[in-house]
Parts: sequence; structure tokens; C-alpha cells
Amino acid sequence: MGVTRGKDMIQRKKRLPRVFDYFVEEDQFAGGNTFCAGCPAELALRTVPKVMGKDIVMVGTPSCSAPVLHGQNLGSWHRLAYYACVMTGVASSASGLARYYQRVGIDATVVCFTGDGDANDVGFQPLSGAAERNEHVVYICYDNEGYMNTGNQRSSSTPLGAATSTTPVGKSARGKRNLSKYLPLVIALHPVAYVATATLSNMEDYAKKLLKAKEKSKEGFAYIHVFSPCVVGSRIATDSAIEVCRMAVRTNYFPLWEMEDASFRFTYNVAHPRPIQEYLQLSGKFSHFNEEDVERFQEAVNHRYTIVDSLCRSGGAFEIPSVQATVSR
Amino acid sequence: MRKHDTKVITGNACSAYAVRLCQPDVVALYPITPQTEVVEQLARFKADGELQAEMIEVEGENSAMNAVTAASIAGGRVYTATSSYGLAFMYDAMMQTAGFRAPVVMTNVNREPPGIHAVSSGQQDMIATRDIGWLQLVVEENQEVLDVTIQAFRLAEDYDIQLPVMVNYDGYFVSHSAEAVKIPMPEDVAQYLSALEKQPKRMKLVPGRSMGAGSHGLLLAYTELRYKHVAAMERAKAKFDQIDKEYGDFFGRYYGGQIEEYKTDGADLILVTSGSAAGTAKTVIDVMRDKGMKVGLIKLRMFRPFPRERLSRALQRRKAVGVLDRSVDFGWNCGPVYREIRALTPEIGCVPMLSFIAGLANLDITAGDVEAMIDDIYAASLGSRFQETTWVSLEEKT
Amino acid sequence: MAIRKTFSYPYESAWSDADELLLHLDTGTWRTKRPQIDTDKCNYCGLCALYCPPQCMLARGDYFEVNLQYCKGCGICAKECPRGAITMVLEELSGKINAET
Repeated sequence: MGVTRGKDMIQRKKRLPRVFDYFVEEDQFAGGNTFCAGCPAELALRTVPKVMGKDIVMVGTPSCSAPVLHGQNLGSWHRLAYYACVMTGVASSASGLARYYQRVGIDATVVCFTGDGDANDVGFQPLSGAAERNEHVVYICYDNEGYMNTGNQRSSSTPLGAATSTTPVGKSARGKRNLSKYLPLVIALHPVAYVATATLSNMEDYAKKLLKAKEKSKEGFAYIHVFSPCVVGSRIATDSAIEVCRMAVRTNYFPLWEMEDASFRFTYNVAHPRPIQEYLQLSGKFSHFNEEDVERFQEAVNHRYTIVDSLCRSGGAFEIPSVQATVSR
Repeated sequence: MRKHDTKVITGNACSAYAVRLCQPDVVALYPITPQTEVVEQLARFKADGELQAEMIEVEGENSAMNAVTAASIAGGRVYTATSSYGLAFMYDAMMQTAGFRAPVVMTNVNREPPGIHAVSSGQQDMIATRDIGWLQLVVEENQEVLDVTIQAFRLAEDYDIQLPVMVNYDGYFVSHSAEAVKIPMPEDVAQYLSALEKQPKRMKLVPGRSMGAGSHGLLLAYTELRYKHVAAMERAKAKFDQIDKEYGDFFGRYYGGQIEEYKTDGADLILVTSGSAAGTAKTVIDVMRDKGMKVGLIKLRMFRPFPRERLSRALQRRKAVGVLDRSVDFGWNCGPVYREIRALTPEIGCVPMLSFIAGLANLDITAGDVEAMIDDIYAASLGSRFQETTWVSLEEKT
Repeated sequence: MAIRKTFSYPYESAWSDADELLLHLDTGTWRTKRPQIDTDKCNYCGLCALYCPPQCMLARGDYFEVNLQYCKGCGICAKECPRGAITMVLEELSGKINAET
């Protein structure tokens, strides 16, 4: 059974934490599925209909989520309506769905759920196109920093120096040679309704953003970038994914911010950011790092964080005037 | 005959007028020469309130095909248009459209595909996409563009078929030439297409309903689905004949269905071709018939599925057959339609067959060219040795 | 030999229907360790249920019960529990502990 009953029961909390209030729907996904043990993307995916409800239409594509989002013949792993398409067609298919439902007056939330490989690389063009058109779509990118379903190949979201199967560490190479793309900011520079970064250590923040994204998708494009490190690809223990997420936030490697109507703000303030070494040591893909690598990585983190910080600082140098992204037709 | 408007419009404009009459739900727009006027005209219709569809100005043809396919699976009537490079760019999405059995209608204005840059007419783009499960129709001139585009919606959305349809016509020769065209009235087209409403409803993606499109096809299910797809394509042949006849009864214009047989009665020699070249060929055949030459034309109108049965019947008891292709069949040193007609030998017997490759990249196929082809076919029918493949533009006239 | 007329798969294209067939894997067979909750220490904060990726912490009023059919044994619940109320116990040993209770 796994539970031992003691004689002196201590004070139970009267109610569960506030984050549970966001869960309006029961888990729409079936019991066991093919996500690896300890995978944060599984948590990210299961949370989506719990917050957004079961009337969403999911758009999925080959990725870690495909064996769960897509059916197998007649059988399905979840109770949601879904559209499984090619990697090059996620945001464009979502546009087609959203436009048709708008045309016939069906109030549907179309939710894309793809990995960083699709959002950053092969599916980037349609993502950028849909964002520019401010389509009424929610697009969730779960960032495990590589093509993980195919065995840990690098994507343009893989960080500098990381060891992957296509950027291995050997006699003449030491992992990925260049910095990664920072997709949430790229999307924020499109005329979209909402952009947010989230991760699984901050569940209430994630739930709030899912709900906000659903609301905002009635006006335009809502994008959420979820940091969900791969247990296998990062060579971390199955129990450590949440800790890695937490450390990514605390080192400012993955700041939590949102942009709404062209106004940026942090949603979680890190008072005393930790040195990046504390994040790097948790993850096996950086195990070959020497001091110089760590320093360079810290510079990359500082660089990215400074840009985000300068946009988010309220009352600071940047007072970005809001702009109406789409005029009525 | 029902009331029609008459306008002098280009082939491209005919596509746009036909689409407006069919009232699609979602249209994806992306420009590519020589199709651009199609999307421009559709955008103008929308801007003037004459078209109610959701217009998605996509950022690439791949997105165009994905967007309309998804909208089709959600239950909508959809349309897009492209050509050559765009057709190639949407290739993966097109495979998905066919496999999903989404009744998308697409205009493809024939243009030479990438490989040798050319902004000119040619059928290679259509040939390059023949093996992905789309229905492909080819038309000769502007009125046919308008009529067949309307028929394409009727064919694609037919409950027995549910397959995407590509309507092809020659870039420039048809797309950019203006002719007087009879345009049906909207209420008549609506009535014509209302036959679809009497049929069972196709499956669609509904929010809150636990069905999903694009499930993995595992084990035997995959083979079964492929079988069903091929079977649907087979049914499309008779269906297209039926649709052509019904359209003719309704609007007064018949085209012959899968193939048009022009002066083939008693013809010893047959020339097979498709597209605007058929128009030139018909003129030459008229002249040669007057001179006593027993020659006829078969205009191929349906390319996929291949009109095997009707061609076999039409090519019976001929003395020689020539096929004019505006494309090449890489690997067989001949034209693609020629190769497919050659595969009918078991049904029609060993008849001299000649392949003519002409009209690539906007080169004109002149009446003189066609006459020379028919002379070659005639010589072959008499038993002389003949050259299987003639590259018409490269042959030196001896 | 002819193509058989009935097909195992009902549709013309690849649709799935969860109402007809909802799939699940017995991922409980994956694990080598299972969570053991000490109810003396547990104060029902719910973090284990919050962070469990396959959502295997079932709320039972004033305690959480592990869904052993699907629990993959990742150990996130044990790591995240702020009161250290959960320990991961090897599968072979857990049977003995139950027998003693």
C-alpha cells in the first residue's frame, strides 16, 4: 500500500495550496503512458486540460508528446479532440482550425503542444507566420533543449557546450559550439497577444499562465515556453527534474516573465541569483565543462538575462507604449 | 440553358470566380507566378464583401496546405492555389492531406519546378506529385477551368470519394490569356452543389468530442487504410464521368469525363495530350481530317487516377498512337503520360507508340509541330521504323 | 484469393476515438522503487500530488494514496516533499513491510 499510519496524527492543512484551484477539470489523460519516469513534459502536458478544460483541440506532432497525444489506430491515450500533423505544419494547421471554428461560431481553444525542435527549427516558419497574423491559437513549446524523442540530438534551443548525440564530446569536439536561440523573446517581438515563460517547479505560475493564455487566445496569439529538461538527455536522476527546473529559475538561466499587450514583466523575482555552476552541476550534459566553459556559460546567461531584465523592469528605461496588434476586419 | 454572365477574363480569374461561386469556408493565399492573379482576385472579392470565407494570408505554401487541410478536417470547404515551387514546398503537407482524406480543392498552375530556374509553363510540377494520392485533373482552356473547378468541389467532397483534387492548367497559355467565359449564377451553383448535402456527413474534428485525426496506423490498419485510399481513387473515375454528365445536364457544357475523344471514330492514328496543347492539336486534326488522314485526338482530362479503362477502350484497333507530353519521365527517356499509356499494351495490343516531348518552359507547340508529330505517327503506322522518343524542340528538321 | 471485404479498422482515414478505446500502459511494472508515505510526517500539503508527472498521488481526504498501477517510481514526490514524509522503497522489500503492518 505504501502508507504507514502513525498513532499521533499531526495537524493536517485545512485545504490544498491555491494552485489546486486552477485545476477545474480532472486529468484527461489515461493512466500509464509512454513518457519516461520523472519527465517534466508529462507534468506539463497533463496540466494543460486540467486548467484549460476538456473542450480544447490539441495539435500535436512527432515529438516526445506524440506517442501520447496521437492515437494508435482506434485507440487514444486521452479524451481530448486532437489533430496530429507533420512537424512543418503545427502552427499552420492550428491557424486553419482556429479560423474555421471562428467562421462557424464554435468557441474552441486550439492548443499546439510541441517540443523545442519543432518550435525553434523545422516548425519555426509557420509559428512565426501564425504569430504575425495574431491567430487565435495557444502555442505551448515544451523546451527540453533538443530532439529528445529521437535520442538527444541538438536543436537550436540546446545550450552552448551541451553534449548531445549530434554535438558529442570527443577528442576534437566539446559539445555544441554556439549559443542557443531564445524563442520566447523572438515570439514576443511578433505582434502577439501574450507570451510567457514557465517551468514545472513553479506550478501556480504555470497554471496562471495557461489560464491567461486561454483567455488571451480569444484576442490573438498566446505563446508559452515551458522549460522541461529531459531526464534522459540531461542525464539526471529520475527524481531531479523539478529540482533542475527550480535551479534554472534561481540562477536566472530561465527567468519567468510574461508579455501582455507589449508590456513585459517578471512573474517571479529572484532576489539573489545563484551562480550558474549550481545549475550546470545538476545536469550530465555539462559534465565535461571546465572553468572556462562555466565562465562562458555564465556570460551567456547574463547576456540573455540583461535583455529580459531591461524589458521587464517596471518604470525603468524602457517604457514600451502598447500597440493594437490587429485591427478589426 | 441556365442564365449565365459573360465576361472576358483570364484563366486565373476563372479559378477565382469558380471558387467564389462555391463559397468556401477557409482559403489560404500565397502568391507565386503564374498563379498570383487567383489569390489577388479572391482577396478583392473578399474585400468587396463578395466572398465570405476566412482568408489566411499564409507565409508559405507549406502553411497554406496545412492550414486548409486542418480546416477541412474540422469540417470546412477549403481552397488554395499554387504552382511548381510552391507545390514542391507543400509536398509533405499534401501527402498528409491525401492520407487524411481531406477534400481540399487546389488549383495548380503548371509551371516548371525547381531544378532549372524558369518562370514558365510546363507540366513537370504536376508529374512530380503524381504518387501521393491526390486526384489530378488537367484542363485545356478558360471555360473548362471555371467549370472543372466547380466540379472539383463536387468530386472532392463526395462521400464516396473524400479525396483532395488538384486542378491543373498551363501557366501563361491558360492562366494569363483572357477569353469570353460564361459564368453561372450563384444560386445555380449552390443548387448544383446541394447534392452533397443529401449525402451522409463526413467525419470531422469537433472540440469536446474525443475523436482525433492523424492517429498512428499500426500493423494491419495501415495497409487497410492504404487499400481504402486506392479504392476511393478507383471510384473517382466513374464518379468524375458521372459528375461531368450531371454538370452538362445542369449547365449545358459536357467535356467527356476522364477523357475527351475528339474525332476518334474510325481513326487509325491517335494523338494523346492534355492541357492547352489539345486546343492546337484539335485545329490540326480538323485540317488533316479534311485532307483524308484518319487521325483523332484523345485529350486526357483526369491524370490521377489514370483513366485506364476508358483509354483502353478508346485505343482499341488503332494503327499507331502518339503521346505529346509537356514534361519528361526521368528514368524512362520518354514522356510520363506516354509511359503510362504504354502500360496499356496488354489491353490494346502491341501498337506502334511514339513519345513526343515538346513545349517545355513556355516553348510554343505550333500547328506545324503537331502536324509533324502526326506525320511521324502515320509513318509508324505503316510499319516503318520509328524513333520512340522525339524531343520536338531539339530535332533538326531534315 | 481475394481481398477480404471486412476490415479490422472502421474508418477511411486514421481517426481514433477515446470513447471507443482509451489506451493505457501498465507503467507500474516499470518501477524498481515505490513511494512509501509516513502519515506521521505528512501534513497533506499536496506538493507530491502537484509535482507527480503521471498524477499518481490520489487525494483521499486527509492523506494521499499512491496509484500503484501507474506509478513509474521516479521519486519526484519523495524529493519534493518538504517534510521528508516519503521514502522510495525497493519493490522487493515493500512486500515485507506491508506484511508486518
